[in-house]
Amino acid sequence: MDAFSEELMGFVQKDNQVEASKDPVPEIHLPWLSQHIQSTGSHGQKGTNFAQTTSICLNFIQEALLKHQWQRASEFLQCYLQTLEDINSQKRQMAPEIIWKLGSTILYNHPKSNVETFSAFADRMKNIGVQNYLKISLQHALYLLHNGMVEDAYRNLNQAESWRYGEMSASQEKLIKLIQAYRGLLDYYTWSKKRTEVSSFDMDGFATNAATQDMHSYFRQASVNLHEIIKIPGVWDTFVKSYVEMLEFYGDQDGARQVLTDYAYDNNFPSNPNAHIYLYKFLKKEKAPEDKLISVLKILHQIVPSHKIMLEFHMLLKKSNKEEHHKLGLEVLLAILDFSGCTENITAWSYLAKYLKQIIKGKHREWVQEGWSSRKDWWPTFHFSYYLAKKNWKENRILALKKAFTSGILLGKGCKYFMYVSKQGHKIREKSIKTMKKFVMKHNILDSEEH
Amino acid sequence: MDFPDNLFPTFFLPGPPGLSDSPASYLAPAWSDYMQLLKPPQTQDPSINPQHEASYVTKWGRWKSDTPGPLPFLLPGADPWDPELMSQDLLFRGRVKQPARAKATIDVIEQLNHFLWDHGDIAFGPLGMLLQENFNLGEKKKSRKNKMVMNTEWLLRDLNGYQPKGCPWAHLSTRQRRFSLLGGTVLGEEVENLLGGLLHEELETRWKRLLLDEASTGGALGWVPGAKPHHGQLVYPTGRAHDQLNFQKVKLSPTNEPQALGDPSHILLRGPVRQVVTRTIQGEALVAVRSDHHCALWKLEHRGPPEPLQVLEMEKEATGISLSPHLPGELAVCTRSGAVCLWSPQHGLQQIHKDPETFVFKDPSSWRWADFTAHPRVLTVADRTGLRFADARAPSDCGELLFRVGAEASCQRGERVLLAQYLGTPDPLPLSPTLHLVCTQFSLYLLDERLPLVPLLKWNHGLLSPPLLAQLLPPPYPEAPLPLLLGGLGGHLRMLHLSVGSGRTPQLAAPPQSLPSLIDSLPGFPVLEPHGQQLLQERLRAPLTGLAAVVPPGCPSPTMLLFQLSAAGDVFYQRLWLQPDTSSESAGSPSTDHAEDLGLNSHSQTSATSSLGTVSEPSAVSWKPRAVACCRRWLKTLLQVPPTLPSWTPPTFSQHHLRWLKEENKGKVQEGLRAAMAEGRLLLQGDLAPLPPSDPPPAHEPFGTEDKLSERLEASWERKGAIWWDGQRDGSRLPRKRQSREKRRTQLSSSFSSVRSTSDFSDVNSPLPHPPKTPSPLHRMSETSQSLELSQELWVKNIPRERRQTLRDYLAVLPSPDSGNCSIPQFQNPSSQSLSTSEPGKCSVPCSQNPRTQTLFSPLPESYSAFYSQNPNSQSLYSQNPNSQSLYSPEPAFNSVFHSQNSSIQKLPSRHTPSLAGSQPLRKKPRMGF
Repeated sequence: MDAFSEELMGFVQKDNQVEASKDPVPEIHLPWLSQHIQSTGSHGQKGTNFAQTTSICLNFIQEALLKHQWQRASEFLQCYLQTLEDINSQKRQMAPEIIWKLGSTILYNHPKSNVETFSAFADRMKNIGVQNYLKISLQHALYLLHNGMVEDAYRNLNQAESWRYGEMSASQEKLIKLIQAYRGLLDYYTWSKKRTEVSSFDMDGFATNAATQDMHSYFRQASVNLHEIIKIPGVWDTFVKSYVEMLEFYGDQDGARQVLTDYAYDNNFPSNPNAHIYLYKFLKKEKAPEDKLISVLKILHQIVPSHKIMLEFHMLLKKSNKEEHHKLGLEVLLAILDFSGCTENITAWSYLAKYLKQIIKGKHREWVQEGWSSRKDWWPTFHFSYYLAKKNWKENRILALKKAFTSGILLGKGCKYFMYVSKQGHKIREKSIKTMKKFVMKHNILDSEEH
Repeated sequence: MDFPDNLFPTFFLPGPPGLSDSPASYLAPAWSDYMQLLKPPQTQDPSINPQHEASYVTKWGRWKSDTPGPLPFLLPGADPWDPELMSQDLLFRGRVKQPARAKATIDVIEQLNHFLWDHGDIAFGPLGMLLQENFNLGEKKKSRKNKMVMNTEWLLRDLNGYQPKGCPWAHLSTRQRRFSLLGGTVLGEEVENLLGGLLHEELETRWKRLLLDEASTGGALGWVPGAKPHHGQLVYPTGRAHDQLNFQKVKLSPTNEPQALGDPSHILLRGPVRQVVTRTIQGEALVAVRSDHHCALWKLEHRGPPEPLQVLEMEKEATGISLSPHLPGELAVCTRSGAVCLWSPQHGLQQIHKDPETFVFKDPSSWRWADFTAHPRVLTVADRTGLRFADARAPSDCGELLFRVGAEASCQRGERVLLAQYLGTPDPLPLSPTLHLVCTQFSLYLLDERLPLVPLLKWNHGLLSPPLLAQLLPPPYPEAPLPLLLGGLGGHLRMLHLSVGSGRTPQLAAPPQSLPSLIDSLPGFPVLEPHGQQLLQERLRAPLTGLAAVVPPGCPSPTMLLFQLSAAGDVFYQRLWLQPDTSSESAGSPSTDHAEDLGLNSHSQTSATSSLGTVSEPSAVSWKPRAVACCRRWLKTLLQVPPTLPSWTPPTFSQHHLRWLKEENKGKVQEGLRAAMAEGRLLLQGDLAPLPPSDPPPAHEPFGTEDKLSERLEASWERKGAIWWDGQRDGSRLPRKRQSREKRRTQLSSSFSSVRSTSDFSDVNSPLPHPPKTPSPLHRMSETSQSLELSQELWVKNIPRERRQTLRDYLAVLPSPDSGNCSIPQFQNPSSQSLSTSEPGKCSVPCSQNPRTQTLFSPLPESYSAFYSQNPNSQSLYSQNPNSQSLYSPEPAFNSVFHSQNSSIQKLPSRHTPSLAGSQPLRKKPRMGF
């Protein structure tokens, strides 16, 4: 009983205290617990009038935000600013962040707000409480970027980067890195602008030379910062792409390849399909050997079998000389069609129909059987049901024909899908029906199993 | 499928949740809840192509509602509803000694105390049974040889004597003393430990359920589109035990309110319906239902009753069910044992995951959830700590994690997964079918299964109740963002707009919006008297247990019908439509006079916000007469529903009162008790003994200024005002006081007499010289005149001498008091008056209240052998598949229950007489052992 009430109290206290518990996994924390306890009335911690009014005010602001009443919210926010002087030191510390969140939302959405207002608010909030300087600076810069004010954003990032206040915590260090990375990105934008300028120059060597040097300095600034951020685990698609583009421009193919390989294969990074795509595209541009390309895509196939680049992978495998690649080519196609988003992908179905024909002619019927064995219990309802036959025939006749052919090969001539489509095709005297029927009669894998 | 080729930059730092130091906690995509709307800079130069998009409102418009709150859609059911246990019922409400350190305490002592006193036989009985072997209760000699047996004959004899409970000065024999010293602590501790433990456990589960009722995860309201575009069916449970599954046909109209077509057809189940899932795949409309220990699947035909396909019975409580969006009739089911099965009526059950432990870190909750993914053979399994893939082709317990409560998603301390939902549907949505929604008590996450562990979107929902319901809707216009509805158990509703193009990262297209909940409709109802108002409020505050949004086809402007189901079984609806923004021209352009409206140099921090000026806000909608009429109709039916008996009332008598009853009454008491228990009804006073003859309680007798006034008026009407005044002024001051005291006394005694016999009150000790019993009129008169004279003299003394004569003269003219025609009304017999005005037949002992035999907590409906049996419509359909009895069942915890023809006939009563016991609300049966 006592233990339970203590446990219960634990919740309440956690609500108000800083997390200072020793156990690594805290209990479930329910934000509505305090509401339950307060509704009991007699002993809920009411707090001072000050705390009450501010919490009521906060509720009003949140309510107004959810009703998109920006004006009302902004009026309440003016009153809410009193939390900055809260006696409770913990609340006082939290206040700037809350105000910044609420205020930036209001200003972002308020129909009469503008960049100047937002900037004024951001500049003010940056200097209330040191903790938030970097955060707000970054968000402010992003806001400016969003509004197309690149120069202001750059200046903001520059300022933030040079900000120092005592010892920097680990998170602040990372944040600085991110700010630098965004600055690097903006340098890259300038660099790419200069590059187009330089390429369009048909002036004398001196002017070109000066412009090139200018461009090179931007490259150096950008590359230092971008290089730093992509070492930290994360999703850095934009940064990596920009960095690699610049490296490529200056002929550092090895460096670029190394960056992309690290980005794709470092285990500390999340498995990001884009990383593999970037590497593949780079290698393809580099005219790398096909085996190399296949090995890159093979890994991607294991991670995301439904990726659209898998069709390209199939063609690569088909062209390859190795038999195991040919076998994999079938599996790649079947795996694409496993996914619900790809069921009506006409390219995949026509590739499959063509490839099945080729495999059967090439006497590799067992590959088909192998691929089919794990799918035979659900593909018939998933792809080849009577309902889908009618639907496909109505919506996309070519798709229906391709699918009918495949269903005939895989399920035999008795398959509902095949029967429906061939019957309908017969009605409108579709030419290909006859050849399809003939092939299916002869080569479907069901009959061949029996023989 | 296109994968977004440029993801938002974010850190990826594995670690435990709540690392406030992690920069991910405020960086993209979780860096700010509200600034989500900002897009990351793309690789093209932002200065050339500013990424400024028109806001949602200017581009698509505003979602507006016809009414300020949802309207009742169906009339309330015949069953009364009372809110379940509330926090007030469980928490200690007494005075706290140190208000500064107030704590929430469960008031367990009071409950335990009552229980021990009133149900001593239950509390101590089992212990007695255990000890019985070692005690000889007076049998003759047979147990002498056994040294383990103690003779308690003498002890019992001592106990039989007069033993006042709890009296410290009571006489104790040495035997008693020895016994209580040796056994007291042990016996006391045993009961305390066992019972206390059980009670604690029960209170804990109750409290946990109160804070987070996970049974209703997913929602119990389903919509099944019909064959015609404007028709459909709502599927939802009603009844006190939520055991009646209703299928209500609905006709939608592009411009008008939806109409319910006829009465719903219903199926009575043998367990509460916790979750209803509906899905139409390849033209087949399916309804799956989860109860505590059963899951069932129906197929809806366009005509005729729903056809039951299969029922699954499980040993452990089922926690989640979902219908496959890919293959018709395939389901994923999970239970508290940690097992997840793929289930289809054709292929039976296939266990694909079983792990009683949680995935990421250890969490005591056994809640599990399963849903599908874009691959029909891969499921997601969720527990409180994360989401994991489970492949049906190669079942293993260590699939890849899709979501983890940890630093990657910048989760807070104590954050847990409450709902996981696959957002892909077979409909041709512009959405890539790989998105998953994860809701915790703080935030909402959107994940792509191709990029595990990195949320694409995070929004802090800030709901003050667990978000257990979610639904994604098709876009109102082909290119527009998709509305995503999120519902909290407390009725809070949020609407988000997801902009998801193929090959684009999903983002919020507009700031989230709140939608009105049921309680917001309260102003639409007429004001009632307090009792009715409370009933209505409780009803509207009932937890939200189901949410179904329907998009009626062919509407002139995009419309959405939002159906809400409350725990009381009420279905409400609200119509929302997207109105193009008319004020966009004026409000959309930024104001031109920047320079002067910015008080940048002022010291006020409010400068930025105060400069905004006034703008038009979304205007509020008012209640229209039609909506009010609708509410009125609903309310009228609601008030006709008989009120429920409160689930717990203080007992009026207890067992040991029964024990003390006299011998002649005992037999009758037992009979009555047995009869009441057999019928399962409440024990009434009438069952125990005839009521003691009692006088009806006295009615209020007016004696005060009001009364005086009327007397005076009466007298003056008869032109005797002066006499009355005199009599009033000096007549019987003291006696009058005495009289009224007497009167009160008699009233009290007569009310006591209903409890005890009147003989207890003797008049002997009465201080009154004149008992009020039948005073003679004569005696009364003499007394009055005496006092009048007496007081007159006294009064004269205080009057100035010169006026005395005048007064005397004046008084001499007046008729003398004892002249006979002056009757003074206040001297009437009080007792007779009180009798005449009181209503006869009133009984002072409230007899309709619950006896103490009721359990402390209402138990849940018990488990049942078969899930449903009393269905008049679909009875004949059970015998559908008598051959499929042999079913692959990989685990004994799961058993498929097939209703073969024989068993259904045996079990079911005739189709014309549905069993009463089933259709009645489940009576709360006593369950003493918890």
